[in-house]
Amino acid sequence: MDATVKSHFTTKDEHAPAKPLIFWRPTAKTGLISWLTTVDHKKIGFMYGLFALVFLLVGGCEALLIRLQLMVPNNTLLTAQQYNTMFTMHGTTMIFLAVMPLGAAFFNIIMPLQIGARDVAFPRLNAFSLWTFVAGAIILNVGWFLPDGAPDAGWVGYAPLTSRAYNPTHATDFWVLGLQLLGVASIAAALNFIVTIINLRAPGMTMMRLPVFTWMTLVTSFLIVLSFPAITIALVEVMMDRQFGTNFFEVSNGGMPILWQHLFWIFGHPEVYILILPAMGIISEILPTFSRKPLFGYPIVVFSGAAIGFLGFTVWSHHMFTTGMGTVATAAFSLATMAIAVPTGVKIFNWIGTLWGGHLKMRTPMMFALGFIWMFMIGGFSGVMHAAAPADAQQHDSYFVIAHFHYVLIGGSIFALLAGIQYWFPLVVGRVVSDFWGKLSFWVIFVGFNVTFFPMHFLGLNGMPRRTFTYDGNMGWNTANYISTIGALILGTGIGIYFTVMIYTFFKGQKATRDNWDGRTLEWSLPNPPPEYNFRVIPTVHARDAYWYEKHHQEEIARETAEHAKDDEAHGGIHMPFSSIYPLVASFGALVGGFGAVYHNLEIALIGGSLLLAGVYLWSMEGAEGYHLHLDADGNPVEDTHAKH
Amino acid sequence: MRLNSLLSTSARWGRAALAFGGIVLLTGCDLNFWRMDGHQSTIVVDGPVAVSQRDLFYVTCWVTFVIFLIVGSVLAYTTLKFRARSSEEENAVPPEQGHGNPLIELSLIGASVLALVIIAIPTLKGIWYTHDVPEAEKANAYEVNAVGQQWWFRFEYPNEQIKDVGQLVTSNELVIPAGRPVHINLRSMDVIHGFWIPKLAGKVDMIPNRGNFLWVQADQPGYFWGQCAQYCGDSHAVMRFRVIALGPREFNDWLNRQMEPARTVKAEADRPKAQFASYRTDFKRNEKGWSDKFDLSPLDSWRAQQEPDPKAEDVALILKGRATFQAKTCVNCHTIRGHEGMGVTAPNLTHVGSRTTIAAGLLENNPEQLARWLRHPDEVKPGNKMYHGIGGMAGYMKKDDTGKEVPNIVLTEADISALVAYLSSLK
Repeated sequence: MDATVKSHFTTKDEHAPAKPLIFWRPTAKTGLISWLTTVDHKKIGFMYGLFALVFLLVGGCEALLIRLQLMVPNNTLLTAQQYNTMFTMHGTTMIFLAVMPLGAAFFNIIMPLQIGARDVAFPRLNAFSLWTFVAGAIILNVGWFLPDGAPDAGWVGYAPLTSRAYNPTHATDFWVLGLQLLGVASIAAALNFIVTIINLRAPGMTMMRLPVFTWMTLVTSFLIVLSFPAITIALVEVMMDRQFGTNFFEVSNGGMPILWQHLFWIFGHPEVYILILPAMGIISEILPTFSRKPLFGYPIVVFSGAAIGFLGFTVWSHHMFTTGMGTVATAAFSLATMAIAVPTGVKIFNWIGTLWGGHLKMRTPMMFALGFIWMFMIGGFSGVMHAAAPADAQQHDSYFVIAHFHYVLIGGSIFALLAGIQYWFPLVVGRVVSDFWGKLSFWVIFVGFNVTFFPMHFLGLNGMPRRTFTYDGNMGWNTANYISTIGALILGTGIGIYFTVMIYTFFKGQKATRDNWDGRTLEWSLPNPPPEYNFRVIPTVHARDAYWYEKHHQEEIARETAEHAKDDEAHGGIHMPFSSIYPLVASFGALVGGFGAVYHNLEIALIGGSLLLAGVYLWSMEGAEGYHLHLDADGNPVEDTHAKH
Repeated sequence: MRLNSLLSTSARWGRAALAFGGIVLLTGCDLNFWRMDGHQSTIVVDGPVAVSQRDLFYVTCWVTFVIFLIVGSVLAYTTLKFRARSSEEENAVPPEQGHGNPLIELSLIGASVLALVIIAIPTLKGIWYTHDVPEAEKANAYEVNAVGQQWWFRFEYPNEQIKDVGQLVTSNELVIPAGRPVHINLRSMDVIHGFWIPKLAGKVDMIPNRGNFLWVQADQPGYFWGQCAQYCGDSHAVMRFRVIALGPREFNDWLNRQMEPARTVKAEADRPKAQFASYRTDFKRNEKGWSDKFDLSPLDSWRAQQEPDPKAEDVALILKGRATFQAKTCVNCHTIRGHEGMGVTAPNLTHVGSRTTIAAGLLENNPEQLARWLRHPDEVKPGNKMYHGIGGMAGYMKKDDTGKEVPNIVLTEADISALVAYLSSLK
């Protein structure tokens, strides 16, 4: 191939006039500026993970306060107002600021590595997603430090409780605008992931060779893109009602509070799968690796993941069985909900099939993965109980529901995310958590979790409603509540051990070997931590478990790699994008605008909006510039004759 | 470490463990919570609706339990059998790289569908059965309206029209005929509430601008606990109510009494000076508001509450209370039919003395708790409208020009004592 053919996205012309200072591109590789302006998917993913873990701890502390308040009947640790704030923020924080961004962290770091890409499709958009997420998190939580207080209308924010008549302070505005920004961040990130998976797969990586985690990333991203608009609309309507006196939910003027519930749950139910599908993807990676055999029934696992995503849009009203929908609607949503149990069950069967006949290596990630299957099964079964609408009339909004969704979200999502952190830690950080401490944390978390949440099934069936700051001692709820609180303290201790060990390992842990777990997917072909450009040579994929194939066909792959390296060099080397300040500027504009909207201050809202628009405009004007890297066969940089920097 | 120091360390730990165990036992408790036979049990229930819901729950429970046993056993077996026990086993030649077996997959899918059908059939039956009173019994059904407000319930009896007044209205304690289906229309005045009597039926929401309803039937006379099940703001947790089911004759007697205007004590010619009672004032926030005695036989407690005890009444104090009720503007929001007051934004107090609870099922209706409630409504029930005012009307507090809350109604201990005597006399 002609050596003068350059990659088409190299726009830098040596003779072009110097760009104005406003288009300054930071080039630092370390230091604060490099993190604030990075477009590297691994750094962005790492920051997503850090923020998510901080909020996981914040949400966890809120949960502990809730449990301490309910430890004994008629407790006075928290006031009603404080308790209501606590459960509202616990739910909102855990869903939007802990589990979702933790999933986003994995999407960012792992997914491009699994498909053999050098970054996501739109690196600067990716940075914008991260910083807009941070802006949303700030607005959501800033109420803690202001006289108005943090949001306290429940994480579902049912109208008309969110109207100004019943929530006159700005607490609800924080909630509305915070969620709105988080939605923007999620949609931008999800579009980015979709484009990346569709377009940036390495040669030979057909859709049916995608690792299951990447498949679940794709399904989740579609769920985000399709479901968030519903809550965006609903939040805009609440905002209009609160700020401009419109009548979407204003009963005295004919508004319909039930509308909020439909809009919220047609987002809210896919949201549940947004939280659990990445977890299922992680489990589908870990089980084959530690069983040393491929996933059992890959096509059916992928298909059932997609089916869950699809059916997820048809069952939203099972959150509304008690709203008086009438017999036919209730029956339809009841049956649709039961139908979801089928693809979910299929996944569990296939995971067991994966284990069958394998050589199970009982390492910490595997422990969490097996714990996931058990806990998720229990959560799934109580889910089927809810699908039976008349029985649900008794369970709805009781502690039975609390037990159910914590089995799915902690026993499910969080267990899988903790498994994933342990699993990919050696790759991302280059150190491996000690097996003893990892397993110890698993057992403490496992025991604490079950002691906390299993008694809640009994509480719910015994009639204890959720979101109650106090209860009387004569209702038969004392013992179960007491045990549950003890369990929460054990669970908190387990999480504490987990993260202490993690932090210790980060700084001083044992160094991981390359391909630490004998992995099967492409990310394990990389040195740890992976270099900025990920792959020296874009791999060619020949089979489903691409790296496993590589390991067993080394000569063929070496020959191919050498050829492709030559081709790459002929294209001008590895193209790397410059960092950019504008995603951060645009997100800062969103933050300022958000505050303006919260305080109904038109000027500040306009200033923020202008800043956001200016950021986006300048970001598109500065161009997708970058530089080229030239590497020798060992991955060492070679002096670049064309280098601009 | 020397042996004796080791011993003392372990002794210390032992004592700590004992203390911990002691704390666990001290909290009360019988470890029988798995029986689930509390006042709001959905398992130990009464009446056809709750029974059908519980039986459906049992079906789902058994089906999932059997599946859990099978799948769980296979999972446990697989984990134990294929576990690598040594590093040699871990690093042995990898097992066969099989990709699955469509036949197994399809048969498992078929089996799960079958299991779901077992649940689906009684579910569909239940949806239609629990939705409304069965056609055959419609003629026999009794109708009431329940209206939710922050944070109490109003109950209306559209069949019981009082001349020149309208339908019979009570609050927070719903009295229904036993052995008869009761059709309850559910309405809300402000935000969404959830109407839930666990022992009689699953919940249905009270949604503004929406005509919901549910039906219940208590097979036997009884006293049932109910609670708001949908988060509705500050005092959601203490928005409770009671349902009393009575046999036909007792129900009719009750209706007749309720249709009467409020009871008026006879003013005696030589009435003695009012004796002010003094009540406990050192209640802690959230302190329980009921006596253990009450729970032993709640229906009998309710019956006992119906009869006035003229000997124990201080007529002068009651009359002073009636005047205070007017002077302190309580009448703006509360109705006492036959006496002063025709407000509708607050619970109807015409026969408040005959109820077993006050403050929406939160406190037992006795002079001590009534005094506590009147003295510090904001502590008993955070955010409540009697304290903060409602719909532009002032309560204990009112808004000044700057929007700040300033005291409006101030009750002295003497006022409280008089009000307690008056309200308790309204049997």
